Amino acid sequence: MAKDKMISKHKFNKKYFMKYWQLYAMMVLPLLYFIIFKYLPMFGNVLAFRRYRPGMSPFGTEWVGLRYFRLFFKDPAFWNAFKNTLVLSLLNLVINFPIPIIFALLLNEIRNRFFKKAVQTISYMPRFISTVVVIAMCGEILSPSSGIVNIIRMHLGKEPIYFMNLPEWFRMIYILLDTWQFTGWTAIIYLAAISGISPDMYEAATIDGANRFQQIISITIPTIMPTIMVMLILNVGRLLSLGFEKILLMYTPTNSGVSDIIDTLVYRVGLANQNYSYATAIGLFSGIIGIILVTSSNTLSRRITGESIY
Amino acid sequence: MKIYATRSSRILDAAINIVMILTILTCLVPFIYILALSLSSPRAIVNNEVFLLPKDINVESYKQIFTYPNFFTAYGNTLQYTIFGTAISLFLMVLFAYPLSKSWLIGNRPLMKLVVFSMFFTGGLIPNYLLISYLHLTNTRWAMLIPFAINPFNLILLINFFRSMPVELEDAALIDGLDYFGILTKIILPLSSAGLATVGLYTAVFFWNDWFNGLIYLKSSQFPVMLFLRNIVNGTSMVGDAAGAADKSTIGISIKGAVIIVTTLPIIAIYPFLQKYFVKGVMIGSIKG
Repeated sequence: MAKDKMISKHKFNKKYFMKYWQLYAMMVLPLLYFIIFKYLPMFGNVLAFRRYRPGMSPFGTEWVGLRYFRLFFKDPAFWNAFKNTLVLSLLNLVINFPIPIIFALLLNEIRNRFFKKAVQTISYMPRFISTVVVIAMCGEILSPSSGIVNIIRMHLGKEPIYFMNLPEWFRMIYILLDTWQFTGWTAIIYLAAISGISPDMYEAATIDGANRFQQIISITIPTIMPTIMVMLILNVGRLLSLGFEKILLMYTPTNSGVSDIIDTLVYRVGLANQNYSYATAIGLFSGIIGIILVTSSNTLSRRITGESIY
Repeated sequence: MKIYATRSSRILDAAINIVMILTILTCLVPFIYILALSLSSPRAIVNNEVFLLPKDINVESYKQIFTYPNFFTAYGNTLQYTIFGTAISLFLMVLFAYPLSKSWLIGNRPLMKLVVFSMFFTGGLIPNYLLISYLHLTNTRWAMLIPFAINPFNLILLINFFRSMPVELEDAALIDGLDYFGILTKIILPLSSAGLATVGLYTAVFFWNDWFNGLIYLKSSQFPVMLFLRNIVNGTSMVGDAAGAADKSTIGISIKGAVIIVTTLPIIAIYPFLQKYFVKGVMIGSIKG
């Protein structure tokens, strides 16, 4: 039965509702959830323009206009956090965006099915581990007194390094942990795209004398380009929202110069210092930049490659 | 497809195999190392004798964490949050995903837009925090369960899963006099184990691993085990209280290791069984739209 055609035929009236009331009834609870827990906080962002006093309405007490925005624009802590966020996420994008693609391409070339399966299973696993555990393990491995890395360094006659505390190591550790945790997982999406490529294309290329490397370059990569673009748009949109919890766990007073990002600033200003309106303004600002980044990269991608996520 | 084993092809194979073996090692070695630490004696750890195999094998640190009342409470809390959180989450998501999978239903489109928009724009930390406290959920266990009941990504995955079910099944059931509640519970759900397992695993992993919401919303007796671990790592929580001050840090290392292993084990244990489902799940979810 072609139900899709019924859209135009039907009007929403009592008869229609009586026929499908159960479907509508099912949606009541989840819809309430969305309104309360997803949309109400969005409206709660008006706090950025209103002064909040504890104990008062959650939407603040009086309008103060752009006061908080002006405040944080003058705040060097904000600009430092903004810079750190941008540097860290751009580095992360440049390094951790291509790695899963390369990994998927290589994985696809493994001919032994059992080995391929084993690599896949093991490489997804870190995705399921809690950030707390990841940081705790990292702390143990890189510990200056007992960590295996520094023990090896000492055996080689080098001084131990307090990796987790030094600002110059912070970015590299953050990015490598992301590589470790998400490469296998993200590669699934590319592998799915690769597995959809018709074998005929490869056969034709083999007959034409293309070697495997040439096949990767001229068949596999062009065919998965739409997937790559969609993933790129999504990543660009998330540029300002880094792994906040991970950074919070890696944060030490010593590395704060590079580890303070917008989200940790919001956390500190808002929850620790209870400066709710000020923190909301910063949060709203980065949320809006995120939206602008998604929409503009989406539009750009649609114009250039014809691919878009909506 | 037949691939001719030319020389360049063999070199490529060799290179790929080396990369893959290195990948496997980088994924596994950290766990093996932590396991070795957790099973070693403090003396061996102090003398830096532990590499990938435990030295002077003992289970002291495991015994010790099991004597902490805090650890048991936290572990129990996490179990609770995971079980109830996943149950509530699946319940609400199924209720929403099933009607939303019917693209012909009037009102479906705006509702889908509502869901998609919430993936790209959220309320932010402070408005969420104030909402939870305004609803008087802080210091109650509900603060861990309710605010995260529906993850829009998982919801869309489930919607796509329900959409892939054959329409004929439902039509036949409707003709046989079953209503939509009946179709959902008697026909759709029993056939959806793969979809439910995928989404259920993601949700369970989320609740198992969550610590931040515990930190900002709960009091210490309600803390999940990940927050307990984080407090040990931070030094906020004391470990190895029976030992002398000098021994504390080294005992701490193997205790940290033991907590890491004990809190990660359940996920590693169920993971291989659910693996075959979620790969399919991710692929369904990755279809855009």
